[in-house]
Amino acid sequence: MSDSSHESTTVATDSSQVDSQGETPKESMQDYYSLQKELYVVTLTTTAIIFVSVWISYNLNTGLNYLLGACTGVVYLRMLAKNVEQLGQQNRRLSKSRFAVFIGLIILATQLSQLQVLPIFLGFLTYKVALLYQMVRALMPSDPR
Amino acid sequence: MDPLVAAASVLAAALAVGLAAIGPGIGQGNASGQAVEGIARQPEAEGKIRGTLLLTLAFMESLTIYGLVISLVLLFANPFAG
Repeated sequence: MSDSSHESTTVATDSSQVDSQGETPKESMQDYYSLQKELYVVTLTTTAIIFVSVWISYNLNTGLNYLLGACTGVVYLRMLAKNVEQLGQQNRRLSKSRFAVFIGLIILATQLSQLQVLPIFLGFLTYKVALLYQMVRALMPSDPR
Repeated sequence: MDPLVAAASVLAAALAVGLAAIGPGIGQGNASGQAVEGIARQPEAEGKIRGTLLLTLAFMESLTIYGLVISLVLLFANPFAG
């Protein structure tokens, strides 16, 4: 009896490691890493475009405030992505430490006279452009036929 | 600052972050649980499931962040402080 249970466990493990197309879980994680990379690239490109626009439209100080917020947004997104990657493997719950980065930034912005809250907050939200872009791309049919 | 305004601001800040965290907290818990369950059932789709989870969590967490911003502004840059 113990042999049959051992055999069934081995079969289950084998079937979980390789699917019908021969793709292992490690290979399937490439999708996740490429999504992460795309999110960073779109966020940084959007940040660069908006930073130059703000610099031209307003002034360099507001532009730098925006840039500070956007960079914090990228750090926040990276921390979230790392948390999601470790979920179920090393961690059993999502950590909340990434909020500390944002709280620290906003408190800094309210305490220092050189920093403004609104450009920093709007800069922080730049990563959402990348998220919306990915959502729209996922909703688009890949095959036009 | 007027003590009444200060007390109301602190209460409003607590309510803003507290109430804003309830919905996303429940949603994130559900989404994460279902995603981990899905990965356990289909390990070959792990990358796609985690990618979808990342996008979903980022959208949900922004709702908490809005409440957090309101409460931080009320505490540290109160516009009603005369």
